[in-house]
Amino acid sequence: MAEGQSGAKTPADFLKSIKGKAVIVKLNSGVDYRGVLACLDGYMNIAMEQTEEYVNGQLKNKYGDCFIRGNNVLYISTVRQA
Amino acid sequence: MIAPKKQNLHGNPSQILPSELIDRCVGSKVWVVLRGDKEIEGTLRGFDVFVNMVLEDVTEYEITPEGRKVNHLDQILLNGNNIAVLVPGGKPEDS
Amino acid sequence: MAEEDNTVREPLDLIRLSLDEKVYVKLKGERELRGKLHAYDQHLNIILGDVEETVTTVEIDEETFEEIIKTNKRMVPYLFVRGDGVILVSPPLRS
Repeated sequence: MAEGQSGAKTPADFLKSIKGKAVIVKLNSGVDYRGVLACLDGYMNIAMEQTEEYVNGQLKNKYGDCFIRGNNVLYISTVRQA
Repeated sequence: MIAPKKQNLHGNPSQILPSELIDRCVGSKVWVVLRGDKEIEGTLRGFDVFVNMVLEDVTEYEITPEGRKVNHLDQILLNGNNIAVLVPGGKPEDS
Repeated sequence: MAEEDNTVREPLDLIRLSLDEKVYVKLKGERELRGKLHAYDQHLNIILGDVEETVTTVEIDEETFEEIIKTNKRMVPYLFVRGDGVILVSPPLRS
């Protein structure tokens, strides 16, 4: 379907470009996870490292490694580097 | 998918497929209304068969009881699962 | 490739490496589980042993309108978790 997109950055390209980088993962529930993206798969299942869980902008939890089930993911965002 | 009937195409020469419409938006601003009280505006960089979308210079709007929360993000991959409406050209207030 | 491959190539590898270890599972509906991971599959159906279940509820005090957060804990010797309820799985901190 995406054959018309020459020079476009498809979701697959984006995912390749953010591996090993700091990301924010927002879930449908509104909870944010900030950490380093280890890897992900076609279901948007995500493995993250040094993960911090934010609820309403407040840090609630820290996980060394964590697995997020893809169906809960609203978006994956790059982190603006200061 | 059911192909549109020929006579319909003759009657409406401007008819395009939804996927073509999204393809035409690549490189320009789009306004995405999600299921639940969230909206996202940004420049569309690409999409896939599930209409997962890569968006740049993103503004996220969240409608809460306390008012509208706004959040800015550089680049995101938006899950196509929660998309309700996509408006080419961005939010109307901007133009 | 070796039988005991401890690299993480795909997200589910993280779960595979946590087999027979204590894991934390966050579920929909403000439920949390801590227990030993016996088995899982690609849907994230999970079997846990010696599980501590924590259920968090928020009640509003009818007079003061204050939020009262209650946590209920119980122990379950052995349980099956259906994958669609899973939000997050975290292995124990590797020291």
